[in-house]
Amino acid sequence: MAVAQAVEPKEVTNTQGAKSGSQGSKGEVERARLRMMMLIRRFEERTYQEYTKPGQKIGGFCHLYSGQEAIAVAIAAHFRKGVDALINGYRCHGHSLALGMDPKPAMAELFGKATGCSKGKGGSMHFFDAEAGNHGGHGIVGGQLPLGLGFAFSQWYKKNSGVTFCLFGDGAINQGTHNEALNMASLLKVPCIFMVENNLMAMGTQVERHSAVTDLSQRAAGYNMPARNVDAMDLDIAIAEIGKAVERGRNNEGPSYLVMNTYRYRGHSMSDPLKYRPKEEADKWKARDPITLYEARLREQKLVDDPWLETAAEEIAATVNEAIAKADSDPHPELDDRFDDILAETYPYGS
Amino acid sequence: MPKLNLVDAINLALRQEMERDERIIILGEDVGKNGGVFRVTDGLQKRFGEHRVVDSPLSESGIIGTSIGLAQAGLRPIPEIQFEGFLGPAYDQITTQAARVRSRSRSALTCPMTIRVPVGGGIHAPEHHSDSPESIYAHTPGLKVVMPATPYDAKGLLTSAIRDNDPVIFFEPKRVYRTYKEEVPEEEYTIPIGKAKVVQEGTDLTVITWGAMLFQCLEAIDQLPEEVSVELIDLRTIYPIDIDTIAESVRRTGRAVVVQEAPKTCGLGAEISALIMEHCFLHLQAPVQRVAGYDTCMPYYKLELDYLPDATKIGKAIKDCLAY
Repeated sequence: MAVAQAVEPKEVTNTQGAKSGSQGSKGEVERARLRMMMLIRRFEERTYQEYTKPGQKIGGFCHLYSGQEAIAVAIAAHFRKGVDALINGYRCHGHSLALGMDPKPAMAELFGKATGCSKGKGGSMHFFDAEAGNHGGHGIVGGQLPLGLGFAFSQWYKKNSGVTFCLFGDGAINQGTHNEALNMASLLKVPCIFMVENNLMAMGTQVERHSAVTDLSQRAAGYNMPARNVDAMDLDIAIAEIGKAVERGRNNEGPSYLVMNTYRYRGHSMSDPLKYRPKEEADKWKARDPITLYEARLREQKLVDDPWLETAAEEIAATVNEAIAKADSDPHPELDDRFDDILAETYPYGS
Repeated sequence: MPKLNLVDAINLALRQEMERDERIIILGEDVGKNGGVFRVTDGLQKRFGEHRVVDSPLSESGIIGTSIGLAQAGLRPIPEIQFEGFLGPAYDQITTQAARVRSRSRSALTCPMTIRVPVGGGIHAPEHHSDSPESIYAHTPGLKVVMPATPYDAKGLLTSAIRDNDPVIFFEPKRVYRTYKEEVPEEEYTIPIGKAKVVQEGTDLTVITWGAMLFQCLEAIDQLPEEVSVELIDLRTIYPIDIDTIAESVRRTGRAVVVQEAPKTCGLGAEISALIMEHCFLHLQAPVQRVAGYDTCMPYYKLELDYLPDATKIGKAIKDCLAY
């Protein structure tokens, strides 16, 4: 088996070609993680602006990840390209960026352009990056859970020490697939890490109104696998807790269930009036913002300072603006490829 | 050459393909130790191991979803859904995940899997064990739908389905499982998906059918006066449908009868009638006749034969069409 490399972001070259941090220096990994969380936040907030401004150029539904960034970046800290797999619900922009997708094809996909990561035919809910092991976003709540189990089965079958990060929101735990996938994964003892991104809201229904128990780790009782609550606003805690499940999977000890407790700052989708939650609740969570929290820790450790943060913010803003400008000017898919990619052969009938 | 029934022919195809390709994994309810409820996978777990022939929980959505994951990861799963009525719990996985992943990801991810499903009535089973849902899946872009009627066709078509790069629903008419034997070569062969078979040639009228109804049609034709010359087409593949073979025949005969086991409304017969209108209108000498099940659930076994098209109903439709 080839030794797979983690896909952790490295300190990146900025748009002017200068290094924003010296390679291999103390804190390089930490800075790259902070930077990735900042990029995801910026990407999502600029997406919000583009979606809502007059002459809307982003179509379809759009579910933003702001507030939950630490989870995607913590997964990337463990992800081995070539053997690991990730599958997700429809809130899938952040994970794709964290696993190395360039913001340009990501933004182009939102604009429905041929240069998008799914060639402009998938949209916000369907970011795929097969080469990275990113098996994409899925629009049917809970529909992806058995697929994640299938990837884990393939890793077990191929004996490649890979693990599958099978992500879903707290709304998905009430789907039948949740029961079927957890039970089968445990029986087959495959390396599937079920991760509930518990942002406390299933669309517009808060967890205490949609789940019979609010400690969601209890929802994995009865499947004979370890289940834990994780403070997913704290990147370091998230990395450590995911690490235990990853180790268990790589050692062929079976699946795990992690409840990543977090909060989404924006609505379920762009049309959500947010009537179901008081502003104070959001403010309470924002006081433990994952980026602010991590930034303060790195400041304390003297790994970042004001100049670094300012430069990083500027570079990220420029990167996202560039992605938007490019997405705006890129072409839409050609109409005459409408029958491509339905079946392997030329679409046989209906043309 | 040995004479095999449908069960044995399918079993042989599975065995040969599993020997040839270690990416193949079978999953399903009781497919391993018990060899499947109809014994179609008999002996395979013993031969290939529990890691390749997996007894799953009763979780159809889980079986199909797991198979989609396996397929995307480069393996070749062959899930079995025990009866066509149990496709219901797996419907989302089949139609929104398996059928669409190629399109959604623009072929970055694909789903090469063969879903084997016993189909249809005639074995005194209740409804949801006797249904004919093929048109539902033919109406789902991104799927191929196959339904052989004979052991020879089943072996060749299953081999093609397993080697295909897209999801194929492989319907096995359970009424035929052990009621018909024919010579089936031991060696590997394939029959292309999407090609119908002219079972017998004729000049006066074309009968188009698929699945277990093939045998009812043969019986009906056998009972006709000797001077009536009927051409009989077995579709074999439901989608992509072989309109070329149908149209070529109907342009010659000018008359067509479509025979399906499924309820009449919105069944495949309606699609075939429309295709004949589009392709053969100026050649038609009579309206296309449909013989179908009623728009009801399959009744309990005492009334089952009333529901199913038989030689009498088919014979009457042929005579009506000829007399028009």
